[in-house]
Amino acid sequence: MTTHDREFRAAGVTVGELAPRLRFSLRLRPDNLPQARLALGLDLPEKIGGLVTAGQRRALCLGPDEWMLDCAEGDRPALPAGLPHALVEVTDREVTWRISGPRAAELLSIGIARDLAALSPGKGCRTAFGSVQAVLLREGEDSFTLSVWRSFASHVAGLLAIGQRELACGL
Amino acid sequence: MSRYRIPGKGRIDHARPVRFTFDGRVIEGRQGDTVASALLASGIHLMGRSFKYHRPRGVVSAGSEEPNALIGTQRGGPDRFEPNTRATMQEVWDGLTTESQNKWPSLAFDLGAINDRLYMLFSAGFYYKTFMWPKAFWDKVYEPFIRRAAGLGRSPALPDPDHYASRNLHCDVLIVGAGPAGLAAALSAARAGAQVVLVDEHAEMGGTLLSEPQLRIDGAGAWDWLAATLAELSALPNVRLMSRTTAIGYYHENMVGLCQRLTDHLASPPADAPRERLWRVRAKQVVLAQGAIEKPLVFDGNDRPGVMLSGAAQTFLHRFGVKVGDRPVVVTVHDSAWHTAFDLAAAGMKVAAIVDLRNDVAPALVQQARTLGIEPLPGHTVTGTTGRLRVASVRVAAVSGSQVASGRRIACDALLMCGGWTPSLHLFSHTKGSLRWDAETGAFLPDRKTEACQIAGAGRGLWGVAAALDDGAKAGALAASAAGRVAGAGTFAVSGDRPGRGVVVRELPTDGNPGRAKAFVDYQNDVTAKDIRLAVREGMRSIEHVKRYTTNGMATDQGKLSNINGLMIASEALQKPAPEVGLTTFRPPYTPTSFGALAGYHKDDHFEVTRRTPIDAWADAQGAVFEPVALWRRARYFPRAGEDMHKAVARECRAVRSAVGMFDASTLGKIEVVGPDAATFLERMYTNPWAKLQPGRCRYGLLLGEDGFIRDDGVIGRLADDRFHVTTTTGGAARVLNMMEDYLQTEWPDLNVWLTSTTEQWAVVALQGPNARKLLEPLVEGLDLSDAAFPHMAVAECTVAGFLARLFRVSFTGELGFEINVPARHGRALWDLLWQAGQAHGVTAYGTEAMHVLRAEKGFIIVGQDTDGTVTPQDAGLTWAIGKAKPDFVGKRSLMRPDIVARGRKQLVGLLTDDPATVLEEGAQIVADPSKPLPMRMIGHVTSSYWSEALGRSIAMALIEDGHDLQGKTLHVPMEGRTIAARVSGVTFYDPEGQRLKV
Repeated sequence: MTTHDREFRAAGVTVGELAPRLRFSLRLRPDNLPQARLALGLDLPEKIGGLVTAGQRRALCLGPDEWMLDCAEGDRPALPAGLPHALVEVTDREVTWRISGPRAAELLSIGIARDLAALSPGKGCRTAFGSVQAVLLREGEDSFTLSVWRSFASHVAGLLAIGQRELACGL
Repeated sequence: MSRYRIPGKGRIDHARPVRFTFDGRVIEGRQGDTVASALLASGIHLMGRSFKYHRPRGVVSAGSEEPNALIGTQRGGPDRFEPNTRATMQEVWDGLTTESQNKWPSLAFDLGAINDRLYMLFSAGFYYKTFMWPKAFWDKVYEPFIRRAAGLGRSPALPDPDHYASRNLHCDVLIVGAGPAGLAAALSAARAGAQVVLVDEHAEMGGTLLSEPQLRIDGAGAWDWLAATLAELSALPNVRLMSRTTAIGYYHENMVGLCQRLTDHLASPPADAPRERLWRVRAKQVVLAQGAIEKPLVFDGNDRPGVMLSGAAQTFLHRFGVKVGDRPVVVTVHDSAWHTAFDLAAAGMKVAAIVDLRNDVAPALVQQARTLGIEPLPGHTVTGTTGRLRVASVRVAAVSGSQVASGRRIACDALLMCGGWTPSLHLFSHTKGSLRWDAETGAFLPDRKTEACQIAGAGRGLWGVAAALDDGAKAGALAASAAGRVAGAGTFAVSGDRPGRGVVVRELPTDGNPGRAKAFVDYQNDVTAKDIRLAVREGMRSIEHVKRYTTNGMATDQGKLSNINGLMIASEALQKPAPEVGLTTFRPPYTPTSFGALAGYHKDDHFEVTRRTPIDAWADAQGAVFEPVALWRRARYFPRAGEDMHKAVARECRAVRSAVGMFDASTLGKIEVVGPDAATFLERMYTNPWAKLQPGRCRYGLLLGEDGFIRDDGVIGRLADDRFHVTTTTGGAARVLNMMEDYLQTEWPDLNVWLTSTTEQWAVVALQGPNARKLLEPLVEGLDLSDAAFPHMAVAECTVAGFLARLFRVSFTGELGFEINVPARHGRALWDLLWQAGQAHGVTAYGTEAMHVLRAEKGFIIVGQDTDGTVTPQDAGLTWAIGKAKPDFVGKRSLMRPDIVARGRKQLVGLLTDDPATVLEEGAQIVADPSKPLPMRMIGHVTSSYWSEALGRSIAMALIEDGHDLQGKTLHVPMEGRTIAARVSGVTFYDPEGQRLKV
C-alpha cells in the first residue's frame, strides 16, 4: 500500500506517497530564535502551526520550542556550536502522502477530528489520524500533506483507501 | 390485498408496488412504506409477542419510540440479519425478509403465552423472589431459563459482512429534528450564512407537517411549503441535510453523535457502500427540535393489537394512505385525538365514538363530532377491551366524580388513545441539563442548560405548528448569532393549525379491580400499573429503585412511552408530587445503535493498529510466525518444513551460539537526547553514571520510577559530548519518552537538552554469534572492527554495505554481537545484503522466542516479564548498575525506604529443575514445603522458563521471597497432578565469565 507515488484515484481525491525529503526536528529556546534564523536563513515562525519557506528550506512550527525542518537532498543545515539546540534527522521516521482534490478535506475527516476549515492554506499542525499521531500541512485549498511514522503507514494508507472507495461509491 | 390502503392518499408512490415477506407471507407494500405501514395496509396489526407474558401485540406508534412492533430483518443473505428492528422505521424494498419475534410455534398461536395465565407469578421483582433456592438450581435450571427468556429476537449468529464508516464534522449550528421548529431554525440560521447541519431520523423530513396536510403556511399547503423549504435549504452551499440520521448522544463541549443509516432502505446498495456512518459533530450551537411524543393511556387491556396512539393513526393515514381500521374508537384526554378522529372520518372510516375523560371538552369539537356522525362521549372512561389477536370491542363507562358507572360495549377494530404529549428531552438529558416540572401541562420542561444549545417547539412544551415555527425561527436566529452571524427570525402565517389542550391522568378510572387489571405502562418490558404500585408497597421509594425493581423504562425504547406514566403512578402511590419523585435519567444512545456503527473502521485488518518494521515483509515471506509486542508485530520464530516452535527455536539458538544469527531489532525504542546538558539529564534519569562515559562508548542503563521500582532498561550510546542514542524496550518507548519529557518540563526546565523519538528513523539488524565479525567486517567502511579498536560496548558511525550507519557492539545473547542502525528506508536492503553475505557463515534468522531464550541463558532480565512494577534493582540483582557516587537520580531516595530494604522482598533467582527435561510453566507458583496443609503459602513465582539448547536442560528465572539467601535450596512448584522440585541457582546459566564476548 505504501509503494512510492502509487496513486489511488477516486471521486474527487487523489492520494500519493511522496519521495522522502531531508527532514529534521529542530529544538531550541525561543530566546535564541534570532540567532537560529540568521544561521538557517529561514525566518522560523514563532506561532504554532506557522510555516515559512526560503529557497529549498521550509520550517513548520509544531510547539513553543519545536520546528519541523524540510530541506533539499544534500542540504544539511547547521547551527553554531555555541547555540544550545538539538537538530536530529528524522527523514526516515515518517511517510508522507499528498492528498489532493476537491474532496481532500472530506477524505481526511474520516480520521482527523480537527476543524479542517480552520486550517488555512500555508498552515500545519500536529494532530491524530484515527489513533495515529500525524503532522498535517495544508499546502493549498485542496491539497494537504499528511505525515505519519513509518510503521503506522500501512494502517493509515489502508484507511485512506477505504475512505476513497467510500467517496467513490457516492453514499 | 391492500384493503386498508386509500388510493391516491399519502406520500407513498402508489405506482410502485414493493414485495417483501413477513413470517414467510408475501406482503405487497408501496415505495415509501415502512414495514408497519405496509402490514397495516394489509390489515395486519399483530406484529409481535410481548417479552414476559407473550401477549399478542400490535404496532402502537409510527416512529422510533415503537415498543411492540420489533421484528427481525434480513437484508439479502442470512449474514445480514438484525433483530429488534422497529417495523415503524424499516422501509420496505423488493426482497426484504422480515419475521416476528418471541413466539413459538407461530405468532398467532404461541405456547409461551402460558406466562400470561400465570401472571400472578411474574409480578414486579419476580426474578429476585423466584430464583433463590435451592442453590444447586442456579447453574442447571434458573440461569439457562433466564438466559433463554431474556431479550427479544434472536442474536445474529454469523459475522457481520457489512462495513461501517465514521466522519468528523464541524458546523456553526446543528439542528436535531426536521419538523416545523427544526425547519424554521434551519431557515433562520442558513439565511444568516451559518454552516448548518439539519438531521432527522426519518426517511423524510417534515415531522408533524407530514401528518398535517390541511395546514397552510405562508399561503401554501403544508406539503408545498415543506417542499419549497427543503429545496431552498438544499440549494444553499452552507447547509447539509441528513435524513435517516439519528442524533444518538449529546456529549461534552457540544459534540453530538449521529448515526446515519445509508443502505438498510436499499434493495441493491452500491458496492463499497458502508451500511451506517457515525458522525462526530462538533457544533458551535445545537438546536434541539425533537418535538413531543404522544403518551399512551393506562387502562385494562390497553395492549391488544389494534390499540394504538391516535397520532400514529393520523400519520399512517396522511403519510402512508393507510386506514388503521374500518371502525375505530378514540379514547383521549387531549384535543389532538379529536382532530385525528375528524381526519379519519373524512377519509371514510366509521369512527364509532370519541371517549374523553374530560367533561369540559370544547363545544366546537363535540359539535363537529356529531356533524361527522361520531358519538361524542365526554366524561367517559374506558374500563376494558376484548379481542384475542385484535381488539374487537371496548367497554366505556360514564364517570362522575370518583364514581364509574357500569359500562357498555362498543364494537371496534381499532382503539386510538391519546394521553397528551411528552416533550422529548432525551438529548437535553444527556447534557445533564436540569428539568423543571410544569404543572399546567403536566410535563417536565428544559430548565438550566449546560451546553451551548437552544430548545425549540414542542420539545419545550409549545403546542401547535404556528408556535413551533415561530419558536424554531427564533432559536435558529439565536444559535446563528451566538455562532457569530447576523441573524433574524422570520415569521410565518399559519392557518388550519390545531394546537389543542388536554389534562394529565395517571390511569383511566375503572369500576373493576385495579389489582387484576392488565393496564400496561411499559409495553416492551410488560410492566403494568399494579407492578409499580407493588414496588412502592414493597418499599421502593426512589423512582430509580422503582424503575429497576419493575424494569419500567428499561427496555430498548428507554421508556419513551412509559416513563412519564410510570412516574405519575408512582407519585400517587408514594403520595408525593411528581417533581419530588423525579424522572429517571436518559442516557445515550437515543435509539438502539448497531455495534458496527460504533466500531466504525475498527474491524478486520484495521481492528487495531499493527505496526510493521521495514523487514516485516521478508519475515512474512519466510513463513515467520508473528507475535504482538505492544502495537508491533514481531517475528517470533521462523519454522522450516516439519518444525514446531520448539524445534525451530532450538535450531535458531544453536545457530547463534555456533555460527551467526540475524535478528530484526528495529522495534527497540530509540530516543536521541541532545544538548549541552544531555549527560546531566541522563545522570538524573538513569541509575547509572554517564558523565564520564566517553563518546564512542555505550553503557547499560536502568530507569526507575520515583518509587524505586524498575521501569525500563536499554543500552545507551554516547555519540558526542552533547548527543546520546538511548534505546528502550519495544513496549516502553512511548512511556519512557513521556516520563523523560515530564521530568524535563516540570522538574528541570532549566536544562538545555531536548528529546527526539528516533525509533522509526532507524532500522536495526542485530548480528549475534561467533561469526558475526567475519560476516560484517567486509561490508564496513571507515571503522576497524577488531576487538582492540572496537571493543564490546562501543559505538561508531560508519558505512555498512554503503549505507550510513550507527554501529553498536552490544550483546543481548552473550555472543559477539553487533547492532547495525541504518536509515529505515534502507533496512530491507541491508537485511538482504547481510543475508546473502551471511550464507557463507551459516547465518540464520532468529525471532523473539530464541532471543528470549538466549538472554535468559545469560540471566538478562526482560522488563515487564521478570519485573512487574514492584521490583527494585536490589531485587533484580542489578545493584552494579547503580552509580553509588551519584548525588541523586529518579528513585534513589526510595531505594533506602525501610520497606524496600526489609527482609521478605521477592528477589530474582535462577531455578533448575531436578529433572532437567522438565520445563516449568511461566507464572507457576512456588512453595517451600509441599507437605504443608492447604492452603499453602506461596513464596514466589516463575517469571521466565525455557528449554536451553546450549545447556541441554531447562532453565528458569523466578521471583522468590529472600531468594538471594536460598542459593542451592530445593523449592517446589505444585502443578496439576504433580509437584516439581527445583533448586535455586544464580541467573547466569551460560558462560558466567563472559569469555565468549572477548573475541
